[in-house]
Amino acid sequence: MQPHLKRVFMLLVIAIIGFVFVRSLIVPDSFGEYGWYRANSVNDIRNFPVKHAGSASCGDESCHAAIYSIWKDSGHKTVNCETCHGASGEHANNIRILPTPANDSRDFCGLCHFKRVARPENFPQIDPEIHGENLQCTYCHNPHKPWFV
Amino acid sequence: MNVSRREFTKIGCRIIIGAAAGSAVIESIVAKGTASQDPPGDYDWNAHYWGYVIDTRKCIGCGRCAKACKLENNVPFDEPVYRTWVERYRVLKGEDVKIDSPNGSIDGFDDDIPAEEVKKAFYVPKICNHCDTPPCVQVCPVGATYETKDGVVLVDYDYCIGCRYCIQGCPYGARYFNTERKTADKCTWCYHRITRGLLPACVQACPVGARVFGDLKDPESAVNKILDKERINVLKPDLGTKPKVYYVGLDREVK
Repeated sequence: MQPHLKRVFMLLVIAIIGFVFVRSLIVPDSFGEYGWYRANSVNDIRNFPVKHAGSASCGDESCHAAIYSIWKDSGHKTVNCETCHGASGEHANNIRILPTPANDSRDFCGLCHFKRVARPENFPQIDPEIHGENLQCTYCHNPHKPWFV
Repeated sequence: MNVSRREFTKIGCRIIIGAAAGSAVIESIVAKGTASQDPPGDYDWNAHYWGYVIDTRKCIGCGRCAKACKLENNVPFDEPVYRTWVERYRVLKGEDVKIDSPNGSIDGFDDDIPAEEVKKAFYVPKICNHCDTPPCVQVCPVGATYETKDGVVLVDYDYCIGCRYCIQGCPYGARYFNTERKTADKCTWCYHRITRGLLPACVQACPVGARVFGDLKDPESAVNKILDKERINVLKPDLGTKPKVYYVGLDREVK
């Protein structure tokens, strides 16, 4: 082979090897395993901690079984425990970690039950100006077994 | 060039052997350990294809979904960024339409327009549509966002360079910039929950069942029961993004 062709050929080979080497350093592990993305990131996201344990975990025999059975038959049974009591995943795993106490203020109940023009009409709502004399709702209503529902 | 047969075979053999050896060396460099931490439980993403139904007729605008979402997914709580939020539409008697979502609905809504002036009003929960042809994935320059085999659009938080192009590319405004992670961020349909057999946090938090989540591949799933019965629509169907969030009772004012 003529020397100048040999030189060009060698340069080409070096360039290809260099490209493949640099690419192997830059492209992350598992990239392209399923598609144009890092396959490991799916597992990273799947491993995120669960913060909301769900109502079923509250009703355990040795935990809140009594209040759970009352709530389960009440008009509020569609309202998950953690919707009012806050995220309790940590508490369900370790009972020494207490969840934030439930918000029992009038305004918190009002998030669902104050009269609002955009709310579906058949949803139970009260006018906060004329109902309840500004008392705390829980003074008359049991949030785990509300009346009139 | 004048090469004898012997010379030609020699050079040819050298090239073949060299190429084989070279690629073997490169392979051994490229193939690093690929095993990442195994996620909990056995979950086959080929067996599922997730879908989401929002019944706007049921939504009461309490905003518990938006709050649960922020807590579940470490969304910066005091910043005006949301993975899901509730919009209030008020069509006034003068044909004017007022659309708002104060703090993504987390603090609820106040009636700042007297009821007499409102012709009709309703709430519309919004969330990433997990499009089947997602424009946000198409524009990512580094392959840091993708659609999984079970139909969820995710962001690779380690690989995202934070260029915000996808945030511009989403026609639904469903993406935001996470200032803590320094990456783009979005709803994952709580991928860490649904792959463990749980419901997304917003669906679980909804007190009136306005949000329904389920498997489109399962004919008996909660979403398919609604899709088979109700009259449904998606947001901006003309864009061809093929959203997998289906709306019941969608008004023509909703964009």
